[in-house]
Amino acid sequence: MLRLGTGPRLAYRSPMTGIGPVEPVDSSDREESYDVIGTDGPRLTDRWSARWRGLPPRTRRATLTATTIALLAAGVLLPRTLSGDQRPEPEDTPVPWPANVTAWRYLGPAGLPEPPGTRPTSGRFRFAVDVRGGPPVTLQVTGAAFTGLTAHALPDAFTVHPGTTRRVTVEISVSDCSVLPQNADLPFLDVTLRNARAIQHHSFIFGQAYSRDLFRLLRGACAATPAPQPGRPTGSAGSQNAD
Amino acid sequence: MIVRRSMVILTSVMATGALTLTACGSRDDKGGDSDNGGGTTLTIGVDAPLSGENSTTGLGIQYGAQIAVDDANKNKLVPGVTFKLKAFDDKAQPATGQSNATAITGDKTAVGAVGPLNSGVAQSMQQVFASANMVEISPSNTNPALTQGKDWQTAKKRPYKTYFRTATTDELQGSFAADYAYNGLKKKKVFVVDDKQTYGAGLAKIFNEQFKKLGGSVVGTDHVNTGDKDFGSLVTKIKTSKADLVYYGGQYDESSLITKQMKDGGVKIPLFGGDGMFASTYIETAGAASEGDLATAVGVPADTLPAAKTFIETYKSKGYKGDYGAYGAYSYDAATAIIKAVKAAVDANGGKVPSDINALRSSVVDGVQKSDFEGISGKVSFDEYGDTTNKQLTVYQVTKGAWKAVKTGTAS
Repeated sequence: MLRLGTGPRLAYRSPMTGIGPVEPVDSSDREESYDVIGTDGPRLTDRWSARWRGLPPRTRRATLTATTIALLAAGVLLPRTLSGDQRPEPEDTPVPWPANVTAWRYLGPAGLPEPPGTRPTSGRFRFAVDVRGGPPVTLQVTGAAFTGLTAHALPDAFTVHPGTTRRVTVEISVSDCSVLPQNADLPFLDVTLRNARAIQHHSFIFGQAYSRDLFRLLRGACAATPAPQPGRPTGSAGSQNAD
Repeated sequence: MIVRRSMVILTSVMATGALTLTACGSRDDKGGDSDNGGGTTLTIGVDAPLSGENSTTGLGIQYGAQIAVDDANKNKLVPGVTFKLKAFDDKAQPATGQSNATAITGDKTAVGAVGPLNSGVAQSMQQVFASANMVEISPSNTNPALTQGKDWQTAKKRPYKTYFRTATTDELQGSFAADYAYNGLKKKKVFVVDDKQTYGAGLAKIFNEQFKKLGGSVVGTDHVNTGDKDFGSLVTKIKTSKADLVYYGGQYDESSLITKQMKDGGVKIPLFGGDGMFASTYIETAGAASEGDLATAVGVPADTLPAAKTFIETYKSKGYKGDYGAYGAYSYDAATAIIKAVKAAVDANGGKVPSDINALRSSVVDGVQKSDFEGISGKVSFDEYGDTTNKQLTVYQVTKGAWKAVKTGTAS
């Protein structure tokens, strides 16, 4: 007997690994829709039986004939289908968390080198972002590792579809030289990622090439800057001149 | 109206018929696979501390690999082959680990090993596995020198082609922790302690260097011995230093006592450590004194890995001891990498298990190097040094008596 009932929801939480920098999203997650399916309505067989008895004899005969033909056709076609590769139902594939399917790769500085003698306080850097699977992921760059820097992508928020790579430019601006290190390994970008499963705040860490290019900007912007007054920025994204 | 109603009924009846036929087909398929008995039994060794110090995380490694082996056997991942897991307790001692490696490689049914937990133990095992040309995959070793050589900071060179790991390295972990301490927690004065072991001392050194590069001050350093219980003199030094954070390179056994004695002694500053500290036992031992303490760990929280869901449910339902949270999923993937490499060797041999165990072991080393599959911890593949290409990290903080993720990151 087939009966749709409300099964126990799967409790899925490690006792020691509470999820931190994430927020839930109203999603089409299977577990979310499970409760809807499980409403305690009349049994299917009861409903079918009642409807069948209410049909005129001619309709019943026509239905029986059509059903017999359909079952015979299914008997021929289904074994072929079953002998093939049995792929899992899409419903069995859980929606991945966005940070687990998103990768960033540093490509290099964007644009032409600054003319000698200039001290830009912002620079543009190019990255390739790819999403390996799941639903599309929307990203927004929120920071560039160090206090004293601001960062944003151009455009500010962008979406990457699964199985694709999107090239993006990130503009990083020096806002306070007094709190910036002279050098550091493995600088990163702070990024907010959102897909149908969750919103995550995640850092993407880059290697030596990005570190070298970033600190070239920082050293250029801060080299001859007088000691900053507390709370007063020495440059900004909108200003190419130290103020 | 009647036509629409009839169509609904017709569709329902057809669906019922199709379901019936599908069910019959499934039973027939299972029957056809049932003649897969007999065949070869191959052993996968697992080495970790299974008793005493570090055993909470060590048991997580053992049972993570056990579930992978059970899944492979249940799903007949390699037709004709039944895998058996043989667990060895190294007690976190390098000499014991080396003896275990000799025992594993001496077993003529063994095709590979998962483990160990400790980087210092791994150093004593690597040569043994290399001599036997047998693959060894650690789900937890993080010392960079194990894969990139002792001069890894200046000239990377892989010491052993048989050694791999599914955990990322302390180069990343130490830097990530230093950044979070300096920029996230806004701590400027740190007291750095380590346990003089390969893992602990290496991690503390990386944190120390990176924290200073960022602009922070290291106001004191000290060392402890594994197994120590009384840290009174250390607490006094920390108190005198006026540090606003303690960083500890080592395992939870000592750090849980250090934080408790610190807080009891009136030093109310957080203790920050690496993956060796990321265990439920840390919180259980330190109690309320652990509140606010931090640890980095390899990978992202298991809760955010949908593919790990079944693994976690199995671990719990089997009532396995230990803690799967730190390395369980990485151990599962390490064992699966070995099993898939065996499958590749069998497939390349016309579907038969190579009769020469040395030839099979050699093929498995090559197969693991070529690994490329979606594991339960994410993508499983290795670079030219044997390091995982899945370089994810998480900062956890003890919040209301449980580890809570506060920052996650991925290195490219």
